[in-house]
Amino acid sequence: MTFRAIPAAFALLATTAPVWAEDLITRNRVGPADAPNALTFRLTAFDLYSADPATAAHFGDLFTDFILAHPGWRIDTQLQTGAIAQEQARIIEQTRAGRGPDCAMIDSSQLATFKEAGLLAPMTPFFTQEQIDDLFPFVREGVTDANGDIAALWWFTDLRVLYRDVTLVPEPPQTWADLQQAAEVVAAQGLEGILFNAGRDEASAFDWLAHFWAQGGELVDDTGRPVFFEGENREKFLSAVAFFADLVESGAAPRRVTALSSYDDLLASAVAGSTGMFIGGNWMYNQIQITMPPEQAANWAVSELPGPTPEQRATGTGGWTIAALTDDPAKTEICAGIAQLYAGPGNAFQGLLPTSVSLFEEFETFAGPEFDVFVSALQNGRARPSVPIYPEISNQIQILLGNVLSGSMTAEAALDEAAAEVMAAYERL
Amino acid sequence: MRPPPKSWPPTKGSEPLPNAPRIAPPVSAARPAGKLRGARALSGPLPWLLPALIMLGLFYLYPIAEALRLAFTDARLFDQATEPSLDSIRRVSQSAALPVILQNTLVYTVASVLGQLGLGMAIAILVVRAERARLRGTMALRTLVLAAWVIPAIANGVIWQLLFSEAPFGAINSALRMVGFAPVAWLSDPSNAMLSAVIATIWQGTAYSMILLYAALKSIDPALNEAAAIDNATGFERFWFITLPHLRAALLVNAILILIMTLNMFDTILSLTGGGPGRATEVLSLFAYNTVFQSFELGRGAVLSILLLIISLTLTAAMVVFLPRERK
Repeated sequence: MTFRAIPAAFALLATTAPVWAEDLITRNRVGPADAPNALTFRLTAFDLYSADPATAAHFGDLFTDFILAHPGWRIDTQLQTGAIAQEQARIIEQTRAGRGPDCAMIDSSQLATFKEAGLLAPMTPFFTQEQIDDLFPFVREGVTDANGDIAALWWFTDLRVLYRDVTLVPEPPQTWADLQQAAEVVAAQGLEGILFNAGRDEASAFDWLAHFWAQGGELVDDTGRPVFFEGENREKFLSAVAFFADLVESGAAPRRVTALSSYDDLLASAVAGSTGMFIGGNWMYNQIQITMPPEQAANWAVSELPGPTPEQRATGTGGWTIAALTDDPAKTEICAGIAQLYAGPGNAFQGLLPTSVSLFEEFETFAGPEFDVFVSALQNGRARPSVPIYPEISNQIQILLGNVLSGSMTAEAALDEAAAEVMAAYERL
Repeated sequence: MRPPPKSWPPTKGSEPLPNAPRIAPPVSAARPAGKLRGARALSGPLPWLLPALIMLGLFYLYPIAEALRLAFTDARLFDQATEPSLDSIRRVSQSAALPVILQNTLVYTVASVLGQLGLGMAIAILVVRAERARLRGTMALRTLVLAAWVIPAIANGVIWQLLFSEAPFGAINSALRMVGFAPVAWLSDPSNAMLSAVIATIWQGTAYSMILLYAALKSIDPALNEAAAIDNATGFERFWFITLPHLRAALLVNAILILIMTLNMFDTILSLTGGGPGRATEVLSLFAYNTVFQSFELGRGAVLSILLLIISLTLTAAMVVFLPRERK
């Protein structure tokens, strides 16, 4: 190094010092506090602000790289609580009043409501046609708005699968009858045969819907009108309800499923060794590995949800999206960049399911055998219908399941009541 | 005829007080009538009440007025630009769920209020008697009861959900099994689920009731009980003829406050049962919450909120009639 180079090095240090001397990640900000451009981003507490230090550190690094690649920008972060429906409603309210975030994580189940309200800025210019074509069909359909624009990036998906203790249920049940028979065998040993959510929560409705969809049932027609209670759909609906009711009546499933509305309760029973099978989300595979001793975790296997016949399969696919709620194209571009950050390296770190085939191939994380099951099941994936009446349909299905499985109402009467409530809400739309 | 102006400074008879300074009369005395009225208005209770009135108007009356306005529209959360309409009121009144919800609300509220009053009174009497007997641990007992009160309602629901869990490892059912009883379907049986919600609410609300009644019990003159004891009155007679009549006002105020709090309580039930199984534990406040935040039906939610307000006001007014009046 020459003497001339030393002052130059000091000068460079002096210009860069403010950047690295300042903490770029705080509890409510990413980037320098005095950046001239700011974007507000409302996110959940599972990544950048995760309680897990490793996850928070990894996302901290990703965001630091991102903000350094976008000089002059600052991301003002706002946390969402776990009350998803209430949080999403709040974002709608605030955005309509002009006080909403520029960019936000939106639950895929609520995306249709946001699209219907016309709150989302098109993101199409920020994705290549190749990237759009690479999305799974149900994802592409879900994020496309009425004008054919990409309204959000569905950055990860999830699906419902059957977990079983192979020491109790060696072979994966292929049909509803197989499942009931296997569960009855487990129950005869004094354990709970199979558990699933059937309490008052969206998870209950969505987990059950896979059995309705497996028969080809449709909740709404092409115009978005609810049709699940009429014609062939009615028969399929009642058949799927009867499947759950039979599980409870036969003792294959305990009646307490009507009080279950959290996947954590299912996991707790698996860890306690008190159940032989449960219907859960793909993300629970990792939770099983973490919470159980290795020798116990090795006993748990995952398989596709059984159908009425081996050929009739379906699984509900959910996940989260990131969307822009601003008219400013520059902010929309930053928002799209954040979404891609989550969809690629973010998912790879967390083991969340990507929404496009190429990302499965790009990252080593998705090479495990469980992902073969997940990718195979995704071929039969069904997303929630992208219609604003869906939340009310879900609400009524939750009530129906509770009433029928607790023995308070017959399936037919409960379906008629649900249909009346849904149609009354639909007429208002 | 105007009275002559009073002398200033104050005089004793017609003579000035000794050593009184010679100062000018107050300015107000020389003001014209209009300014005098303004000054009187400013010196009245209005300036003192104004901040409270503004705050009440902003934070209580305005939301009520807004809810009333929304009730006469068919607004949805993301579609509020609507014409005046009776559609929301019609839909609420024709809803097949409403009778079930109202019945749930009645059962939950009556059972919870009676439970909180009864248990609160029992604990308050226990604490007062323990204090009189100078027993140790009364402070600890009061603190223990109060601990339940400071727990957020959502957390209260979660705690009781763990206790009532019907899993093989559920706390209460495990205890029942240990003593030879059969496990109970606390949350999955519709009628038991309501009982569970009532127990969780009573457990948390009893502390509030206890504090109010404890203060009222402490204000009863001990001489009354001592006199009754000398007259050989039994414990029940002393409670019935001395304690209870003196607690009448406190009990009614307590009942009114608990009633309003219980009618508005939805968070404990939300985290305990979510309103299920089916609609078995869905009360009016939770129904209103679900209508707005699950179904996004702002107009219907406003109608349900107004209905809740009317029920609260009617019951409160009915109970206020029984409040003892001050003797003139």
